[in-house]
Amino acid sequence: MLTAFARAFKTPDLRRKLLFTVGIVAVFRLGSTLPTPGVDYTQINACISAAGTSNSVFGLINLFSGGALLQLSVFALGIMPYITASIIVQLLGVVIPRFETLRKEGHSGQAKLTQYTRYLTIGLAVLQSTGIIALARAHRLIPGCTRDVIFNRIGVWGIIVMVVIMTGGTTLIMWLAELITDRGIGNGMSILIFTSIAAGFPSSLWAIKLAKGWPVFLMVIAVGLALVALVVFIEQGQRRIPVQYAKRMVGRRMYGGTSTYIPLKVNMAGVIPVIFASSLLYIPTLAASLGTPTSAWVIWVENNFTLGDHPLYMALYFGLIIFFTYFYVAITFNPDEVSEDMKKYGGFVPGIRPGRPTAEYLGYVLSRITLPGSLYLGLIALIPLVALTLLNASPNFPFGGTAILIVVGVGLETVKQIESQLQQRNYEGFLR
Amino acid sequence: MAVALEIVLVITSLLLTVMVLLHKGKGGGLSDMFGGGMSTSLGGSSVVEKNLDRITVAIGLVWLVAIIGLDLVLRYT
Repeated sequence: MLTAFARAFKTPDLRRKLLFTVGIVAVFRLGSTLPTPGVDYTQINACISAAGTSNSVFGLINLFSGGALLQLSVFALGIMPYITASIIVQLLGVVIPRFETLRKEGHSGQAKLTQYTRYLTIGLAVLQSTGIIALARAHRLIPGCTRDVIFNRIGVWGIIVMVVIMTGGTTLIMWLAELITDRGIGNGMSILIFTSIAAGFPSSLWAIKLAKGWPVFLMVIAVGLALVALVVFIEQGQRRIPVQYAKRMVGRRMYGGTSTYIPLKVNMAGVIPVIFASSLLYIPTLAASLGTPTSAWVIWVENNFTLGDHPLYMALYFGLIIFFTYFYVAITFNPDEVSEDMKKYGGFVPGIRPGRPTAEYLGYVLSRITLPGSLYLGLIALIPLVALTLLNASPNFPFGGTAILIVVGVGLETVKQIESQLQQRNYEGFLR
Repeated sequence: MAVALEIVLVITSLLLTVMVLLHKGKGGGLSDMFGGGMSTSLGGSSVVEKNLDRITVAIGLVWLVAIIGLDLVLRYT
């Protein structure tokens, strides 16, 4: 394991890529701590330490931005607008026929979709930065905070400058992510989320130690490690459907005749269902924070949805995750297309006729194997909520739910990519 | 002083956005975001891209310096 690390750094090509990625991450973290001009840094820090990160409305989004959101830093919005834009464009691919044709067009169509995603990102960044600055000015960003976190004297012009800066910052993050994808290791977007979440780990762990003492602290770490093992185990799990390719003679050469397999992972959808579900459930809270605080529906939403320890919230969360898992698997893996491709190149699943029966078979296996996958996603995502009610811990329980799924998923993927690059020079990598 | 820095910031922010948008998007879709395929694109960057990179980095540096400057000016006046 360690020799593999040493070897990764000895390979000049790989070393350059790794150092480049580390450099970009450093720039990203620097921007996440730099306050936007106009923000009163001392006041906002006083507010955050008074309120704690626990009962914030923006829990998940703040988690994704590594705590930068509540500090109103230059990179406050983080990678979130880019993700939201990608999700929207991906979903529109099902609804709007033009997007559907673009998606099937191959490389040029994908490039066009990417360009749309980038425009949409900037639009979303303008909207979100305006919203967040407005909330901060109305003292509603951090609950129970009545200090002026934005200088009053900067006026409307100053607010406009803040919005422009935050939008520029979000654009810059988008570029940084693309640079990592292009010249570094791994996928830029996921690496940046990974760093944001991982950056929050030490402080929230230490908060548990300060609040509860050593025994609980050690127990949390043990539970966390066990969870990581479980997540790795299930993420690696796959069913291999054997595919046999017929031999063909083309000229004097013999082609095909190989037997391979289609890997169907237990969790094909990755962590996306969790992100979808939590962003959907966050909408009522957001709407309530804009409504009048005394009306009945606002009170109901605040009682049931804000902290997430209500049974109704948990049930809804679980149900949405299962729904989105199936939904996303249906978008990304189309049994009809796969069986059609197999037929074209003379492949077949032993014992099943090519064409429609194969598609039916693949669909059957897929829907069966996704059920435990979706249940697993739902259960892992519910862990912080359950821990919240049982242990009386904070909802941003560091080793829970979304955070652990993203960190482990991204880590596995990146290590696999480093390994495949290592194998171009010599065998034996990190994973056996 | 503050107003000058603010004008510089607005201009550089807009320029930065335009420059980043001029780059060819290489982020790819969501499908390769979490547990996706290995889509390492070959083919290096062209001269145009290289120059664009340089300009973007230069604007980014000006932007960063202006932000730090405005932070300090607003803090200590």
